[in-house]
Order: sequence, then structure tokens, then C-alpha cells
Amino acid sequence: MTVAQEEAARLAVPRRRPGRRWGRFFNKTVPESLGPRLILIVMCALFLLPFWSMATAAFKTTEELSTFPPTFFPLGLEWANFTRAVNYIPFGTFFLNSVILTTGIALGAAISNPLIAYGFSRINWPGRDVLFGIVMATIFIPFPVLIVALFDIFAKLGWINTFLPMIVPAFFGNPFFIFLMRQFFRGLPGEISEAARIDGANEFQTFLYVILPLARPAVAVVVIFAAVAAWGEFLAPLLYLQDEAKYPLSIGLQFYRQEHAVSYNLLMAASTLIVLPVVALFIAFQRFFIEGVTVGSVKG
Amino acid sequence: MERIRREAESPRGAAVIAAPRLHLSKADRRNLRVAAPFILPWVVGFLAFTLYPIVYSLYLSFNSYSGFGNATPVGFANYQHLTSDPLFWKSLWNTLYYTGLAVPIGLVIAIVLALAMNQKVREVAIYRAAIYLPSILPLFALTFIFIVLLNPRFGFVNYLISLVGGPTINWLGDPKWTRFSVVLLAQLGAGGPALIFLAALRAVPGELYESAALDGAGALRRFQHITLPLITPVILYDLIYGTILGVQIFTPAFILVGGTSGGAAYTAGPDNSLLFYVFYLYKQAFQYSDMGIASAMAWILFIISVVLSVVIMRWSRYWVHYEVS
Amino acid sequence: MSLLSWRGWKASLVFVSVLLAACGGGNTSTAAPLAGCNSGTTLATFWTSHTPPDSDSLKHIVDAFNKQSTATCVKLVQVPGSETDIAKLTTAVRSGTGPDVYMLDRFTVAERAAAGVLEDLSQYGAASLAGSYVDFAWAEANFKGKPYALPFDTDTRALYYRKDLLQAAGVTDLSALDPANGPPTIDQVRTMANKVNHKTGGAYDIVGFIPYLNQGWHYTWGFVYGGSFFDKSSCKVTPNDPKIVQAYTDMFTNWDKALGVDAVQTFVSSYNPPNQPTQQDPFLTGHLGFVISGDWVLGQIATYAPNLKYGVTYIPVPKKGDQPATWAGGWSDVIPKNAKNAKGGYEFMKYIAGEPGQRVYTKETQHTPTIKSLQSDSSLFPGDHQFFIKQLSAAHSRPPLPVGAFYWDQLSTAQDAAVRNTMAPQAALDAAATATNAKLQPFCPLA
Repeated sequence: MTVAQEEAARLAVPRRRPGRRWGRFFNKTVPESLGPRLILIVMCALFLLPFWSMATAAFKTTEELSTFPPTFFPLGLEWANFTRAVNYIPFGTFFLNSVILTTGIALGAAISNPLIAYGFSRINWPGRDVLFGIVMATIFIPFPVLIVALFDIFAKLGWINTFLPMIVPAFFGNPFFIFLMRQFFRGLPGEISEAARIDGANEFQTFLYVILPLARPAVAVVVIFAAVAAWGEFLAPLLYLQDEAKYPLSIGLQFYRQEHAVSYNLLMAASTLIVLPVVALFIAFQRFFIEGVTVGSVKG
Repeated sequence: MERIRREAESPRGAAVIAAPRLHLSKADRRNLRVAAPFILPWVVGFLAFTLYPIVYSLYLSFNSYSGFGNATPVGFANYQHLTSDPLFWKSLWNTLYYTGLAVPIGLVIAIVLALAMNQKVREVAIYRAAIYLPSILPLFALTFIFIVLLNPRFGFVNYLISLVGGPTINWLGDPKWTRFSVVLLAQLGAGGPALIFLAALRAVPGELYESAALDGAGALRRFQHITLPLITPVILYDLIYGTILGVQIFTPAFILVGGTSGGAAYTAGPDNSLLFYVFYLYKQAFQYSDMGIASAMAWILFIISVVLSVVIMRWSRYWVHYEVS
Repeated sequence: MSLLSWRGWKASLVFVSVLLAACGGGNTSTAAPLAGCNSGTTLATFWTSHTPPDSDSLKHIVDAFNKQSTATCVKLVQVPGSETDIAKLTTAVRSGTGPDVYMLDRFTVAERAAAGVLEDLSQYGAASLAGSYVDFAWAEANFKGKPYALPFDTDTRALYYRKDLLQAAGVTDLSALDPANGPPTIDQVRTMANKVNHKTGGAYDIVGFIPYLNQGWHYTWGFVYGGSFFDKSSCKVTPNDPKIVQAYTDMFTNWDKALGVDAVQTFVSSYNPPNQPTQQDPFLTGHLGFVISGDWVLGQIATYAPNLKYGVTYIPVPKKGDQPATWAGGWSDVIPKNAKNAKGGYEFMKYIAGEPGQRVYTKETQHTPTIKSLQSDSSLFPGDHQFFIKQLSAAHSRPPLPVGAFYWDQLSTAQDAAVRNTMAPQAALDAAATATNAKLQPFCPLA
């Protein structure tokens, strides 16, 4: 046990006379898990309420939308809302653009972050930890500080109205993913690298053929998180994209709402379609999400 | 020191010792050379996409620049204009109000969820999934969903409130409630921090609780004196990260207001209550074509972020227990 | 199982195709004309933030132009924006992806010209067109003596009322609302409107009159009360003119208080939310008894509610015997900087902002033309539209300032604060004055 834990344990114990054990037996008559279960059920209901609202609205007819009081279960399943949402709104175009953006960004994250993190973890060089401190410190820089200047830079490069301003920076690393990969690499024993060196591999070969294959779960986590973040990107496309034909789902849907009337049931049908891929990804890769969230944030 | 002494006793070492402070041994230089290509992407990206823009925006903040033509230096005029602009203070207040509510509430919710999931509940995986899933969904979609959910007449929330006899709240039309609506929206993201807290809770050795329970400590005391101190590092991480993100809030405000177009949106939300700081920054830059003022606002935000983080860190010294192993 | 396995190749392929797709988003205005264009024409893009039914009319004008032009073919693109928001235009222009012609609210021409967004039109010979436009519209289109825009349409505002709602509420004497008797007083309108108010379940579903909806702006009531928004001699904006403060107090703060601030806000959120389609407008659907709006509503009524029982009269005035007041707004066409086909754009502008385009637009949308010769053609203004045309000669217009859009937003902020009673009108307007004058200062003296 650590010093801190011993301290904590000492403080937790009030000075009581020994022998008073009945308290423990009393607690057992009420199932221990009732309280927590109740809290969890209520909280889950609250968390899922918005999605129930979304799903029901997606299936309601326009008349049923404006009935008062609102119905908790749609009277009928208006599947036509989905087809109408996809046709009335240029959903296919927006969806394709989102896919292109997400793929590009996820690819960039998958390639750059392991590479950079390797340099910060498996090689010992002077100034490494200081520079890594700077990498972490960049988290404190609010994105708005950069947008005006970045816009000018990309304008001069002629990249405005392309996907480049969003995809290219993904190939240059992201502090969170660097941190995540670095934590993982540090957990790999040094002997593996030693063995590779003895076999005559240079550093890059060690990285590519020895370390990286072992890091597939961590890279998967990075790809998943980068993809999920890219799917929801709003401010960057808002700044850099001009043509409606290039809009991803995020700003596409919003601008379409501003210019044309989009009834709420269509909007919710579209939102359902936007949310489904992420839900599917989560169900398929739940383990990666859960582990990725906690990697490195807690020691031991 | 040890290494330097050993090296000094070698023939090569004497020459090295004679060199000035920056003592790079041959091994060091080799390592640097080897590591360079790996970290090069980050370095290039940092210089091009971070350092240069930061410096450039600092430069712009002292100029008057519409984005067209040339930038004319105006000294501190941009900063002065901002201090005399009531909307600047309003946007700052809106953002701090939102952050000041969303971060602590989010923290409490995350901890409560984690505590509940840490108990012996067999189907915890279901709850974990239900709670975590909303936090990875795109924020813009959640905002659309909230627009329907919070409709004063037809939304579920007001309906449920009316069932228990509460008043009709105009969530998105009443300036008293608009910011709080965004606070509520933010809570859908409590799943991620909840999982992190859960991992932290699971890292606390069970013997601690057992020995405390044996000595008669009730659940509340156990929480207060064992759990809480040991998760304080995670609380600190959550506070700082939440604050930094909180002051940058943009997307929900933009969507709820209806973007920057539309007849009713000359004010960002009722009484400008949804004019969050970054939204006003965006308006200055792209609606009023005033890049100088936008850059000044950006730097003020940067300074505020850093100050808030430092304040939280300083304050944390009083209550964070770090592991001393 | 290394990166250079099949997975690696697949990744590289994806990478390359993504890169191609990313770069492939190139120029929007290439030199190839669209389908339906005359051969040998060059493309020109025309952006507008208008929505139906106005944008439909613009489409007709564009089609007519394309048919008869042998040099240029125009593509109409609807973009997000508003009277004071041209964020999309400025970002596009700065990145070289902007249009050749843009429809800009005329009173912001000075501001956008000062910011350097617009091309000086003198190089295309626009100065020779000065005589064909009404004076105030031409003045708004100029900055520092040079034309930066061609005026398009204009409009005036009046009070619309629903005869059927008033009758149903038991208001039998509508003589006060007869334009022949001059403008009604605010008190007269208030009395009638209050009879129309109706609540269901504690919330309004019909409100008689909400002075600040639609076109009941700060400028509207400010002008009606006889206030002045800009003092040329001192080069200062004067939103805190006592008459304007009084207008805010009467028509925003006190009016809302009398109806119940929260109740009115709930009504507005429910029946007049942002991005609402025109056909759901509360006046057209019977939830509003009176509304101040412009002549274009006549076109909307014709399209969406042709059997509506309505009437039109002057905007109500504070005291009996006061002169009626209104203001004229309207749009214009401009050529932004970095336009790829400015010449083609100008050819189109002369058409749409000239007699052919304005004639069609007036007929279809019931806006008012700015071409002098068209204004005297009474065949264009059937029925109630005559009333609006008659108001034109005495209409005010907004001061064309290099901070016009900023000033508008500041006035709107003060209006919102007054409506919700979060700030006293005097304090709110003082703040607007300070902020706007700070921005205006560098431009003084104005030409």
C-alpha cells in the first residue's frame, strides 16, 4: 500500500470501541445493490430520454408532431420520413463528405501518432521530456486563437473549399493520441527493442516490425476516437468549406435548415441516420472505447 | 552525476568535460538523430499549425485588418474597443456562466455514476454502455435532438415537468434558461469522465474499505476519507480539462441560434444569452470583417484559459493527494 | 503482420484516394457553362441569401437573362446570410472562391466598401446610370463618391391587419384603420388589439399586436417617433436620441410588460421561431391580428393565403395629427473582390438591376422598384401596392455608415433588452452609442 493510501485508511477509522460488529450485519438485510441500481436506472433513463425523443419524432407524421400533449409512442411508424429526409435534404452528399473527412483524419491519426509517440517513449534523447511537456501544454491553447491565422494560411495556400485544412493537420499528431500511444509503448518491455537491436534492426525497423504489431489495440483506439471526433467536426468545416456540395453532415444539415424549412420529424430522422453509424461502431468495438478512455489516466 | 564522473575518467571524457554546459555525449547525439525522424511530424505541425498562427494572431491583435488589403497597426485600440463593448462582456459572462455550471455539475454526475457502477450490480455493462454512448455522439446531432426535446409545447421535457405540476419553461426562448439548456446538453458527455472515475475507483485496494468497515466506518465516512482523497487527481484532471473545453463552447450556440442568418438572429439568442465568447469571436472575424478584434478576443481567451488552469492547479494543492510510492 | 502487408496497401490506396478527393474540391467557377446556356458564353455566379418566394423570382430573372445573353451565363446559388451577415461571402472572397455578383442589403454597401470587399463599379461605367435610379437609393449605393452597387429593389412598411380576427373579436368600427383618415394612433390600435388577445391553457395562441415583430424594428418606431439616428455634423450615431428612447420605452418595454413578458416570449418562440418557413407566418395563419411589414407581404398573401381578409394602413403614430412615417430599405447588386468573371457579372447586373429585371421582380414579389421610370408605371402596382408606392416619396432611409451592419446589431441588442425588460432603454441605447461610435470614429469625417 502506498503512503497516501495508508494515511487515508487511518483517517477513515473513527476512534471506536472494538467489538461493535452489529453494524455490519444490519447493512446486509437491505440488498446492497438496490440504491446504486436505482440511481443507475434513473440516470440511464435521463440519458436515453433525448434519444427516445429523437426516435419517436422521427416516426411521427407532421400532424402528430404538433399534437398537444405530445405522444410518447408514435401512433404509427412513418417510415416515409426517412426516405423523405434522404431525398429532400442532400443527405447522400453530406454523408459521403463526412465519410471522406473521417477516413482521411483517422488515417492521419493512425499513421502519425504511433510514429511520434515512439520517438517520445522508446528512445532516450536529451530534452525529450521537456519537449513532451510542450506537446502536452499545447492542449491549453484554445482553437479560436488559431482560426483567424489558420484561415489566412490556408487561403494563401489555396486550400479553402477543400478538405485539406482538416485532413492534413491530422497527419502531424495530436497531443491526446500521442499521450495515449506513449503510455502504451512505455508499458512494453525494453527487452523487445534490445532483442531487435541485437538482430540488427535499425530503429525504424524495430518500430515497424516489432513494436507496432504489438500496439494494434492502442492504434485501434486512436483510430476509433479520431474517427468519432471527425464525424462530429463542426467549426473547422464551417470555416473552410464554401460549396454546399462539399459540406459534411454537421454543417450541411444546419445550413439546409437555415435555407429551407426542415420539419422536425425529418430532422430527427436525419439525426437518427447520423447517430446510427457511431452506435454501430460502439457496439462492435465497445471494448476499445472503454479501454481507450481509461488508458493512462489512472496509474496501476 | 554518476555517469559524468565515470565518463570523466575515460580519455574521451576529459575532452567532453572541458566542453561548456550543453553536454551531449556521442550516445546522446546518436539518440537524437535516431529520434528526430519520428518526432519530426509533430515538430513541423507544431511550427506550422500552432506556433506560427499563435504569433501571427498576436500580431494581428495589434492591427486593424478586415481580411482584405493591408493590416494597419493600431496599438492597443482593439483591446480598448473590446472593453467598451457591452457585447464583449456579455459574451464573456455567458461563457463563464456556462462553464461555471457545466463543469462542477458534470463532475458530480460523473462521480455519482462511477460510484453507482462500482457497486455489485451484475448488469453494469448495460448501464455503462447506455451512459457512455451519448458522450461519443456528434455534438451537432445532440443539439438538433435537444431542439425538439426542449420545445416548450411539444417537447418531452416540459411534458414530464407538467405531469408533476411544474411550470412551462421556455428553454430556448427565455434568456434565464437558454444557457442552462446548453449546460444540460453538456451533461450528455458525462459518460467519458464517469468511466475514468470508475477505473480510478477500481484502483483503490479493497482491503482499505474492508478494514475501515471492520472498524465501524459507515459508507459515507468510507467515501469521505478513503475514496475521495484517492480520486482527487482524477478530479483535478477533469476540472482542468473541462474548464479548457468549456470556455471554447461554440457549436451548440451556433445551431440553437440558427447560425448567423435568419430574421430573428440579429441577437444571438434571446437577449444575446447564447452569444458565447467564441461565437462572438466568429462574428467579429467573419461577419463584421474585423480580424484584429477577433485576434484580440482570441488572445484574451488564451490568457483566461491559462489563468483559470493555474488557479485550479494552485487551489488543488490543498486537496489533491498524489500517490507517493 | 507488418504495416507493409495487404492492410498497408489498402491503407495507402485509401490515403491516395482521400487525398485526391480532398484536393479535387477545386474551383467553383470554371469556364464551362451550364446546361441550358447559350453556346460560347462564360459562366458567372450569382449568390443571394434570399429564400422563397423571392428567390424563385430571382431564378426567373436569371433564366430570362441567360436566354438573351450571348456572352454570359449566370448560375444562381442560394447561400446562408442575412441583411447584416455576409460571413459566407467574406470568407469566400478571401479564399478566392467568391461569386461574381452578390445581392447585398443596400444600406450596408458603405460598410462593405470600406472594408474592401467590393469592387468599384466606376471602371465598368456605372456612374452613367446615376440618373435612372431614385436619389436615396443611388446615394446608398455610393461610398466616397464612387458607385459600389446597383440598387435593386426597395420597399416601405405599413400596418397590416386581419379584418376577420378583428370582427370575430367584436371590433366593429374600423374607421381608424382607413388610410383616408390618416394614420391611427397607437392607443387606438392598442385598444383593438387587446380585444383580439386570446389564451388557451394559460398561454397565448392569438395576440393582437406585438410591435416589434416582422418589420417593427428600432428604425421603424424611431422614425415614427421623429427621432434621428445619425448626426452628420458631429459624425456620431445618436441612438440615444430622446425620441428614440421614448419609442423603445413605449413600444418595446411597456408594451411587452402589459402583455406579460414571459407569455409573449413563449408565444413568439412557439409561433415565430427562427428559420420558420413563410407559410407558417403567424399573421398568415391567424395567430396575429396586426403586424408591421413591407409591401412584399402582398406577394406572400397572393401565394400562400389568397383569400385572406386583410387591410393595410399607415403605421400608428403616438398622437393624433402626427405625420405618418415609414422607411424604405431594399437590396442591391454588387461585385465582390476577386471575382473571376467581373465583366460577365456586370452585364448581368445591368439586366437584373435594370428595367427588365426589376419589372419582373416587382410583378412577382410586390417589392418596389428603384428605377425611376418603373415607379411611375402604375400597372405594376395593383390594389394595395399603390398605398406603399405613395408612401415612398416621404419615406426615411437608414444612414449609410461604414458601420451600418454593426450599428443595426447594436440597436437590435438594445431592442431585445428593452423587450425583455433586462435593461432600461436609455442605458441600453447609451451602450449602443458608445460601442458604435468607437467603431465609427476612424472613418470620420465621412465623404
